[in-house]
Amino acid sequence: MVSPNKLLLKGLLAWYVLFSVWMAIDPVDRQNWVLANVLPVLFVGVLVATHRKFPFSNVSYVLITLFLTLHTIGVHYTYAQVPFGYWMEAAFELHRNHFDRVVHFCFGLLLTYPMGEAFVLLANVRGVLVYYLSLITPLGLSGIWEIIESWVAQVVSPELGDAYLGSQGDIWDAQQDMAAAFYGAILCVLLMIAIRRWYQRSGWLLIT
Amino acid sequence: MTTVPAAQTRGNFRHNHLLQGLLGWYILIWGVLAISPVDRRDWFLENILALLLVGILVVTYRSFPFSDLSYVLITLFLTLHAIGAHYTYAEVPFGFSIKSLFELERNHFDRVAHFASGLLLTYPIRELFARKAQIRGGWAYVFPVVTLLALSGFFEVIESWVAQIVSPELGDAYLGTQGDIWDAQKDMTAALSGAILAMGITAAWSARRRGRAAAREGRPQKTVPPS
Repeated sequence: MVSPNKLLLKGLLAWYVLFSVWMAIDPVDRQNWVLANVLPVLFVGVLVATHRKFPFSNVSYVLITLFLTLHTIGVHYTYAQVPFGYWMEAAFELHRNHFDRVVHFCFGLLLTYPMGEAFVLLANVRGVLVYYLSLITPLGLSGIWEIIESWVAQVVSPELGDAYLGSQGDIWDAQQDMAAAFYGAILCVLLMIAIRRWYQRSGWLLIT
Repeated sequence: MTTVPAAQTRGNFRHNHLLQGLLGWYILIWGVLAISPVDRRDWFLENILALLLVGILVVTYRSFPFSDLSYVLITLFLTLHAIGAHYTYAEVPFGFSIKSLFELERNHFDRVAHFASGLLLTYPIRELFARKAQIRGGWAYVFPVVTLLALSGFFEVIESWVAQIVSPELGDAYLGTQGDIWDAQKDMTAALSGAILAMGITAAWSARRRGRAAAREGRPQKTVPPS
């Protein structure tokens, strides 16, 4: 097991803070921006507070930072109006801005591995169970996320709710978001299995 | 295995009268409800997963027999599902009585079944974790809840596929959204609540058993969460 590189951690945190500050300047919708930033800020706070007691691998911290960066971009533009999403819409002739779907997929792809490490660190899980739990947890969390979104959409004024929800008029939005996260998780677990031999030797990761 | 009294009959179907009774009951009720379902195609769709589950339980019985309690819970759930499938969920008579009793806008039998899936199936899942993976402590309660929630989410995804593939009118009956745009989220909330309640009951029951065992042996009671 390799303890995380202090310099790398400082660099990642600095990147996230600076990028968030930059993206905090003039967001498309300030209320939406505040709402969508509550969980990431809490999450980063927990990671910083626990990094000594439960040190994830460097790879996990990089993956988490990548995901948070994508989320920060999405929040700045309220997801439904991210320029890259418009570009995809035009390039692939889609009916709507699919940036939120991309981030749901990335939730599975990028955070599945760190979740696996969390189970190793916190619950001392071993063997096949690590892969099983890594696979289903993003799906379960996606479900909780969709539930929270539906509450927010119903509590907050409907127009903002819709922007926050990002359903953009699609009645199957929740199901497709969950499926996207699950596909990401499946891909991540397949990758984990594929490069298993390599990382077992490298000693870079916690899951063996 | 710690929370379940070890039965001598486990894994021995020939001597387990309870299990014989459960299987007999399910075959009987399933057979009766298969005679003239409200919608044959919907009934067929609803039964794919149920029969798959029964098949898996039968095939794995020798290598992994669940406790009697787990089989009772699973049979209860399958019975509810058989009733729902017979009436296409949206038209279950009991659901109509809930509707008029509580002045609801729709037949909520499907919501009841989602809640029941959490309440009744999380304990068997926990047993699987506890015995197959030797998970102990608080995680033995968390992992089953996460599994159930993931299954519930996955089920909603499958439902949406079926609804989109199959003809829309039947899709809607199968889906049971019944015009509610938050249906999927509410279904998952119901299942999650059932799962959390089931694990709460299991934890309380387990703590009580430990307390009694400790009192019998004159040991001081431990405050560690039971496994």
